[in-house]
Formats: sequence, C-alpha cells, structure tokens
Amino acid sequence: MEPIISIKNLRKSYGNKLVLKGIDLDIYAGQVIGYIGPNGAGKSTTVKILCGLISDYEGGVYVKGLNLKDNATAVKSHIGYIPELAELYDVLTPSEFLSFMADLYSMDYKIAQERMAKMLAAFGLQGNINDRMDTFSKGMKQKVLITSGLLHNPDIIILDEPLSGLDANSVIIVKELISKLAKEGKTIFYCSHMMDVVEKVSDRIVLINEGVVIANGTFEELQQQQGNESLEKIFAHLTAKESLNDAADQLMNAFN
Amino acid sequence: MNVFNKILLKAVLLPSGVYEKMGVNVRHLRAILMTKLIMDDRRPNSFQQMRRQARKKPISNATLSTMAMSIIAGVLFVFISAFLKNTVTQLTIYFSFYITFLASILIADFTSVLIDVRDTYIILPKPVTDRTVVLSRLLHIFIHICKTALPMCLPGAVYFTYTYNALVLLVFLLMVGMAILFTIFLINACYIFILKITTPQKFQNIISYIQIVFAVFFYACYQIVPRVATRFSGFDITRYKSAPLFPSYWFAAAVSQAWQPVNSLQVWLCVLLSLIAPLLSLWVVIKYFAPSFNQKLALISAGTTEAGGGDSKLVPQAKGISGYSKFMAQLFTKKGAERAAFIFTWQLMIRSRDFKMKVYPAIGYVAVIIVLTMFNIKISVQDITGLTAKGKSAILIIIYFSNLLLVSGLGQLIYYEKYKAAWVFYSAPIEVPGKIVSGAVKACIAQFFFPIALIIFLVLTGLAGVSILPNILLGFSNAFLLGSLAGYFIVNRLPFSCPPNIKASRGTLRIAMVSIFGFVMASIQYSIINITPVVIIFTLLSAGAAWLLLDSIKKLSWQKINANYED
Repeated sequence: MEPIISIKNLRKSYGNKLVLKGIDLDIYAGQVIGYIGPNGAGKSTTVKILCGLISDYEGGVYVKGLNLKDNATAVKSHIGYIPELAELYDVLTPSEFLSFMADLYSMDYKIAQERMAKMLAAFGLQGNINDRMDTFSKGMKQKVLITSGLLHNPDIIILDEPLSGLDANSVIIVKELISKLAKEGKTIFYCSHMMDVVEKVSDRIVLINEGVVIANGTFEELQQQQGNESLEKIFAHLTAKESLNDAADQLMNAFN
Repeated sequence: MNVFNKILLKAVLLPSGVYEKMGVNVRHLRAILMTKLIMDDRRPNSFQQMRRQARKKPISNATLSTMAMSIIAGVLFVFISAFLKNTVTQLTIYFSFYITFLASILIADFTSVLIDVRDTYIILPKPVTDRTVVLSRLLHIFIHICKTALPMCLPGAVYFTYTYNALVLLVFLLMVGMAILFTIFLINACYIFILKITTPQKFQNIISYIQIVFAVFFYACYQIVPRVATRFSGFDITRYKSAPLFPSYWFAAAVSQAWQPVNSLQVWLCVLLSLIAPLLSLWVVIKYFAPSFNQKLALISAGTTEAGGGDSKLVPQAKGISGYSKFMAQLFTKKGAERAAFIFTWQLMIRSRDFKMKVYPAIGYVAVIIVLTMFNIKISVQDITGLTAKGKSAILIIIYFSNLLLVSGLGQLIYYEKYKAAWVFYSAPIEVPGKIVSGAVKACIAQFFFPIALIIFLVLTGLAGVSILPNILLGFSNAFLLGSLAGYFIVNRLPFSCPPNIKASRGTLRIAMVSIFGFVMASIQYSIINITPVVIIFTLLSAGAAWLLLDSIKKLSWQKINANYED
C-alpha cells in the first residue's frame, strides 16, 4: 500500500540552527497521526512544510505521490489546514470568509453555500452567519476555522491545536468528527499538547524532539516500549531533560 | 462592497484574458481582491487612526471616508497654491503638497493595510499559485493608491482646467501619474532606509512617529499658510537657482510648458526629468527594492523575527524604567499601589502605540498654536526680554497652552485596545482604587508636564530674568491644579481600562470644561501679573488646591469608580 504522505530525510534550518534533523515518516490513508513534541521540537515547522508555507527545506515530501516542491498547488488542494490561534480575517462575517475559502478551492458556489450552512448549524453558529467575527469568542472563531478547513472535503486534514478555546461539548463534537472522518478514509495529522486527546483519537503517535522522531507507533506499542503508562508520562519520560518534579520543587522553593 | 470599490475591481479585472495567459487564476484573483477590499472598508484608515473622537459603530465605510478626506486635502492644496500668481510656483507648491500628503498616507498603509501577516495562514496554504498571489498584491496596492491619489488630484484637475485649458489638464494628469510613481519610490526608499537603521520590531514605532510629524506638518500648514499666503502671492520660485533640484518643480515645469512654453534648456531639462526620473525610480523599485521588500514587510507586520524560527532569541526590549521615572515615582508616590500604578502607567504611555498616536501630535499642535498666537498678536523676543505688557501675555500663552498636552494625555489615559488586561486591578487586594488613579495621574503629569515645564523655566528665566519667576511658579502650580482637575473629572477610572470605542461625549465635554477653567486661571493671572505679593499668595492657594484634589483622587472608592464605568 502506497503511503498518502511520505516524508524522506526532511531537514530544515533557520540560519545556523538545524530545526528538523532528518525526519522520515510514512502516513497511510485513513490514519489519525498524533504529532506531538515539546515547544521548539519542530512540530510547527513540519506542519508549515506540509502545508506549503515553507519551501526551502531539504529532503523529500510526497503527498499522494506528488512531490510537494514541484506540485505545491496540486498538493494544497488535497489538504485542509486548521491553524491554531484563530488566524482569520475577523472583520469579515463567517459567510464572507467561508465563501472566500470556497473560491480559493474553486468550489461550486451552490455546494459551498449549502455545506457552509450545514456545518455552521452543526456548530450552533447558524444565527451568527452574517455577524462580523471581530465580536466572536475564541471558541466561535475556532469553529469557523474548523469549518473552513473541512469545507472542500479534503483527503488530508492537518489540525494544529484545533481544540483551543472550544467548550467541552464542542470538544466532544470535534473528537467524534475526527474519528468519523478517519472512518471515511480521510488522513488526519493531529498536532497537540493535549496528551489525553492525542492518546484517545490517534491510531499512531509520532513523538518528535529536537528535530528528530524519537518514538513512532500505536499507543499500545509505546506503552510496551516505555512501560505501561499514560501518554503524558511517556512524553515526559522521553522529552524532559530534568525531572519535572525537580522543577515543581524549585517553584515551591521560590516561596522560601 | 461600495460602488467605488466595485468600479475599481471591475477596472483592474478588465484584462482578465491577459492575466489568464500569465498563468493567473482569475477566480482566485477576484476572490482575494474582493475580500481585501471588503476588509479595507472595515478597517480604520490613516485619518481615522489619528482621530481622537471615539468610534461608536464598527467601521464600515473607510474607503468612502478616505476618498472624501483626499478630496478635501486636494481642495486645500488648490486653495494654498491659488494664492500664488506665478504658474510654475503655483504648480510646484501644489505638487509638493500632493507628494507629501500621498506619502504620509501610504507610508502607514503599506504595512497596516497592504501586507497582512494572516495571509500566510489563510491564503498561502490554499491551492493558489504564486503568480495569483503576487498579482493580487500588486493590484490591491494599485487600487489602494487610486482611492487616495485620484480623488486628491480631482480638485486640482478642475481648478487647472478652469484657470488654464484642456491641454494643461492632460499634461497635469500625466504629471500626477508621474508624481504617484515617484511617491511610491520615496516610500520604498524610506522603508529600506528605516529597515537598515533599525529592527522590524521598532519599525512600526518609527512609522508612527513619521505619521505624527506629518499630522503636525499639515496642521501647521492648515493654520499658517492661509494667513501668510497673501503676503507671498508674488513669490516666484523660478528666480531661485536651487529650484530645479526639487522633483515637484520638474512636474510643475512640465505642466507650465503646456500653458506658456518657455524655450530654455533648464526648463526642458526639468520636463525631461519629470518623465525619466519617475520611470527610472520605478525601475529601481522593481529591480532592487521589490525582491526583498515583501519578505521584509511580512517581518514588520509580524512584529517579530518569526521567520528566524527556532533560532530567535529573547532580546530584552527594555531595561525597565529609567532613572528619571524611578526618581519621579519615589518623589511623588507612596510605596504600594500608587507607586506601582505610577510605574505601570509610565511604561504603557511610553510603549502603547495607540496612546502615542493620539497624544504625541498634541506636542506639535501646541507648538503651532503658540507660534501662531504670538504671530497674530505680533510678539517679539524683545517683548519677553523687556517684560512689556505683550511680553507678559506671551509668557502666559506659553505656560498655559503647554498644558493642552497634559490635558490631552490625561484624556487618553483610560483608553487602551487591550483594556481587558485591567482585570489585574480587580483581582489584586486593593482596598482604595483611588491610589491607582492617583499614581496614573501623577505619572502623566510627570511625563507630560515636568519636561516641558523645565524647558519653559529655562527659556523664560533665561530671556526675562528671575523677576518673572513668581509668575512662572504660579503658572506651574495652576498647571498642577489643572492636571489634578483633569485627573479628578476626566480620568476618574482605572488607567488603560476602557475600550477606545466607548462613548466619549461626556469626556469631551469635561475636557472642554477643564480647558475653560485653564483660560479663567490664565485671565486671573494676567490681571495680577504685576502684583508680586498677590502672585505669591495665589501660587500658594493654587498649589494647596492641587494638593487637596490629588489627595481626594487618592480616596476614590470602588463604589465611585465602578459608578463612573456605568456613566
């Protein structure tokens, strides 16, 4: 079986600092990949490369057999990207913003409008479709962003902290959505610091630290390798240079 | 989208066939431009950014406002140049204003409107070709310039056609086009220069200062030029040998040749320059500036060295508060909430771009008003040194008008874009919030009054001698009183705790009342200016009143402050 995303010896440096030191990864259709790592590990850089935001990398990135470097536009049309921090043009209304997204994906106008209405209604935003988003809460903006990433029904969905700002009910909706999309054969690349969610939704977990993949496997495989512990503990064990307990002790010592 | 945006969008999309042949996706291009134009309409424009008056409704017609303001500016240029009798001089002044004003607007818009850092996350991950993105940016810049430059040249076009003839109009329009190209070059050069001498993080601040200087310059022109224009109606720039050094002179010479041709090598050289220099500058922009320009602008917009990615190191931005502010804080505040508020307010006043944009122009406005008033009542330096009646009036004018800056600062003290951060005052165990307000008011007085007071003190005692000292001291203690009054009636809420768009009508009324009180105090001092013992008694009374007022600010309770938010 051909991988839908194939990353070969991916290297990227900023100035003199090598951020990605040769990442190799094959991802297959219908998989949910939990891509985790501490701050500065190279997660965002990998995501930016996959989304075509960074092109000056070394190594190979192939999506559906297409070399990303030579076919960036074609690759982008297969990807739905949902960035963190609600990056959207908030002086627009959801209707205007999503219509704009539909245009950029060259979608049929009628299909886009119908889909947009249905998706926003599912998120409970049907009453806000024509309100400017600068009055929206962080969670409402995040829902519009998720809609924008899924509107064109992409084969690959890249989610960067998609649950940020969402209330508990919306978190349940998105988690359910992820597993249903995977069942439909969609590939999900899920970046997050929320270990409990990653543990539950991912088929495979890729742990990256200092630009290198240090663990790659199902949660059960990671447990077998690292002891029967939670993902949070495994993560800490593999990435923390010093004992986290020591850090907490140092914080407590500040009061003395 | 308004009708002008629709027309401009249609116009730029006319050569769609050509775009398609260039490999541009016209549907994407139209979508990007349409979205950008809708957003431009909903974003405060350069004029609205500097406006003190608070917004009540979300902005929805910034384009129309920009166009209307550009027409008004164009009328002003015509009004200023129409006084002059010599055609070349008239046109040189017109083009000088045109280029300066256009540059002042575009210099800010290039970063805030035309380069949006969010594009990186919204447009670039979509299947849009690079050519489409680049062309959409170029066309957006073109539309943006049209919305400012065309209405601005409209009054000039009408006036010059009416005064001269249709041929002059044609050459005038061609020269306007050349002037626009030249302005774009100037802005690019200015950006490159600023980036060479500073970091992208500081860039926005420098642009803000440039905007402030422009605002003051235009205010000064608006106030001064109509008053002096008739005196200079006979002014003839062609008599000056250095005139051909100015680009606006080249454009003027070219237009003038269409009306009264002059067979002079120098004039024809200027005409040649008016055509070649803008095209040459455009070539320089495309060849040398453009390649790294977008990347650098993106850096500026981001306000960080994000492109440096993981390599970026935390650079200490500020070394904490300066010795002066620390000294002032220790001198005027008591340890605890008041001193903390003093230092906090001091830092935010220095660092908040929005605060600076609204208050700093007042420095220039005050200077212009003082110079203008002196000019109107014909006061000379000799009047001040000789302490004549006029000289004494001048001293009072200088002292009291400089208070406008303090009142302006105090008037803005409660507004801040990130006003929600004021939760810290509510969560901290502060029993009497008046101490916070008092600390903030004192910081504003220390920052906006003391430095100016020192300059005034040195200049006036230097010119008029120590005999004027009691009057200077009375002026200063009245300024203190005015500041305390403003603190009590205008600020009376926690610093930086209100959104900038709350209703400001009451605040404006209170500022007006405080200003009237200042005028009354100045009048009283004028009537007693020669009676030194009375001046000294008034100084003591005024200082006492200021002290009491500041003390009562310190006692403001939560109940009272919360009631002020409900006003």
